Amino acid sequence: MTTMVSRVVTGLLSRQCARPCSLTGLDANLRHSHWFPSVMALKTSPPLRAEPMKKKKVDPKREQLRRERLKKKLKKLERVPPELIPIEDFMPSAKYLDETRIRSLPQLPEEENERRALLLKEWSRYKQAQHKAEMNAIEQALEAQREALKELRLESEELYRAAIRPDPTLLPFQHQGPSYTPAKDNYQAPEGKYTDITKVYTQ
Amino acid sequence: VELEKSLLSDHELRLLEDADRISRQQSGDYDSDEEDTADQEIITAKDMEDAWEQKLQKYHTAPRLLESVDMDFSSVDRCLGDNLILLAKQQVGSEELWLLPQLQWEAGETLRQTAERALDTVPGADFKARFLGNTPCGVYKYKFPKAIRTESSVGAKVFFFKALLSSHNPSQTQKGAFMWVKKSELQNYLKPEYLKQVNRFVISI
Repeated sequence: MTTMVSRVVTGLLSRQCARPCSLTGLDANLRHSHWFPSVMALKTSPPLRAEPMKKKKVDPKREQLRRERLKKKLKKLERVPPELIPIEDFMPSAKYLDETRIRSLPQLPEEENERRALLLKEWSRYKQAQHKAEMNAIEQALEAQREALKELRLESEELYRAAIRPDPTLLPFQHQGPSYTPAKDNYQAPEGKYTDITKVYTQ
Repeated sequence: VELEKSLLSDHELRLLEDADRISRQQSGDYDSDEEDTADQEIITAKDMEDAWEQKLQKYHTAPRLLESVDMDFSSVDRCLGDNLILLAKQQVGSEELWLLPQLQWEAGETLRQTAERALDTVPGADFKARFLGNTPCGVYKYKFPKAIRTESSVGAKVFFFKALLSSHNPSQTQKGAFMWVKKSELQNYLKPEYLKQVNRFVISI
């Protein structure tokens, strides 16, 4: 019923437009627009005239296909490789490039330079001797252990095998080395509260 | 050298600023309105430095080498700068000698267990040690004097194991039975042959 009414209305409208403009100016133009179907018809607005959507047969399938296409597009977008975490140490912060921070160094005299060079040479000599001594000591200790195992083997095969067995309780090995000064009795270290402001990046 | 190559730190900048401010204050035409320091700092950086210096002088570390403790051979804390070896007085044959703690091996146990038992039987404080591995680190073999030699046993082998001391509980009852010595002092107490072998695996820088 309503469809027939609307077709009739549009027919009326087209006939009205064909008449010459004997009608008074703007009013007629307004009335001839599609927002106002005809003067005779009821004053209805487009929302009132709207009809419910017609069901098309292949709709759910089409909708499904549409959804799948969208999902594929989303997945492609999400496949972006994770952002690299910036390493704070490699980027000098702006406050170190400030000019006021450059130290004005006094020119060192020649003797000072020579003294430093000689000191460095002494130090390298000392370190070399220390290293050699350490290597020798380790070599000797290893040699002693090898001999001990040889003797043990001569003694008894059983003990030798027991000695060679690895010790599972040994590793991981942790040992507190010596400190420069011994620990003070009843010393209370000063307590400091601090807030950790390191930036944590997540990928 | 590192100090020269580095940039000025925050603290040093503050010191310079304070010095500047003081010089400006002391010069004739000083207008305090020009200073745009809303927070007039009462404590200058120099004062803070002085306070820190004083605090450092007040703090004394525990002394590194104590004469009295060094002389006491049976205390574990002597000569903290060097590695110490435990020596115990053992009865060998007819004599009493200073040796590394040792025990006769018994059938049915590994050498490491013998070593652990030897450590337990050292009279005096009971030591808990952490053995570094199952293998011996050195061996010393000697022949018995002719009087004692029998058909089967001509001599003896002593195997040494390395262990790190983990805890000790000194009891005051027997003091003369053991002592802690540095590598350089070892030669005063050990026999030369024995010493030669021991010296190989005892490492001290």
